Amino acid sequence: MSSRSWKEFSKGFVLENPTFVQALGMCPTLATTTNAKNGFGMGLAATAVLVMSNVVISLIRKTVPEKIRIPIFITIIASFVTIVDLLMHAYVYDLWKTLGLFIPLIVVNCIIMGRAEAFASKNNVWHSFLDGLGMGLGFTASLTLLGSIRELLGNGTLFDITIWGKAFNVFIMILPPGAYLTLGLLAALFAFIGMKRKERGNNK
Amino acid sequence: MKEILKTGMTLMIFTLVAGLALGLIFKVTEQPIKNAELQNILNAIEFVLTDNGKLMVEKSLINEKINETINDTEKEIFKTDKAAVLSPVLEFKLDGKTIYVLKAYGIGYGGKVVTVASFIIQNGRIDLHAIKVIEYSQETPGLGAKIAEEKSQQRFYPIPYEGLKNGVKVDKDAGKSNLEPEEAKKIGVVKISDVMTGATITPRAVANSIQAMFKYLRTEVVKDVQ
Repeated sequence: MSSRSWKEFSKGFVLENPTFVQALGMCPTLATTTNAKNGFGMGLAATAVLVMSNVVISLIRKTVPEKIRIPIFITIIASFVTIVDLLMHAYVYDLWKTLGLFIPLIVVNCIIMGRAEAFASKNNVWHSFLDGLGMGLGFTASLTLLGSIRELLGNGTLFDITIWGKAFNVFIMILPPGAYLTLGLLAALFAFIGMKRKERGNNK
Repeated sequence: MKEILKTGMTLMIFTLVAGLALGLIFKVTEQPIKNAELQNILNAIEFVLTDNGKLMVEKSLINEKINETINDTEKEIFKTDKAAVLSPVLEFKLDGKTIYVLKAYGIGYGGKVVTVASFIIQNGRIDLHAIKVIEYSQETPGLGAKIAEEKSQQRFYPIPYEGLKNGVKVDKDAGKSNLEPEEAKKIGVVKISDVMTGATITPRAVANSIQAMFKYLRTEVVKDVQ
């Protein structure tokens, strides 16, 4: 993998992390991360849509007239979301049930439209694929991290495995305020990491 | 004019291709989706028809009843102010007793909480045999969603006729949190506050569903019980 490709792939994890740095796709982030498993499942579903839509949008980027690019992007994204929704309903019934309405809502997840408009419509297929994969996995990792913290502190379990049971449970963590609290603290941490990196860069 | 036509055509081609792809995937997943839905309900029905690890009704009979009623589902056939009984009603006539498997929903914290339950009619009595909560996806994980756990659901059954006639309530509502779980069931109280601390809305929805199903049986189906 060339250094450019690596950069397109890896930027989604920390440097341009969609959740904590770009603050995109907040609605599913806050709503589905009540436990690690849901966060992980939601992240993977969004990743699948993101990779497919990035590839297709990059493929057609030269044939789409500027004026109607947005409706075409939305048509493509909505189709992929519906496909993912149908496939999940058929083959991973339990997860599909848990995520419920949030699967169709991937259509309006800003990460996907954002990457289509900002990246895939301007770059080649390979780089768009890597961008989609990297951003998607970054999103998945963020949601899993958020879900893990909330599940562990709120329920004493991690991926349904008991860690400390009922000994130290803070109910608020699994309720909506817990999502805001955790998200805020993690965003601060990522900002701090970004700052440190910049400082190191300036000192060189 | 030419420009408008051109953009219109481009849009049309894209939506056509998308529509075709969607139609194809829909056709491919249609049957698996039906199967997944059916399997989910079938598992619940078999669960509530199990007694001491053995099915009380032949598997083939269950499948037959489900196939008979496959086009009559999800209709509200009986309503109380807090819950509603949904079709289909499955009736199994065995020697000396009749078993009814019913489905009902109550409103939980985030939406419908759907319960499947089996009632045994015998010697002029209606007893609740078992329940299975099949839909609770809108309940709060760690709180209401604990209803999914076996040990929570076991607190709801079996409830004898006397308890059902009293009206099924969760222990907080009945003011009887001091009772042992098995003692509580005899008077229609579901002792739940120890296994689902902090959550009353979800178990209340299940208790209301059971109550609605019992009322439905008593008023609409088996009228010859005392």
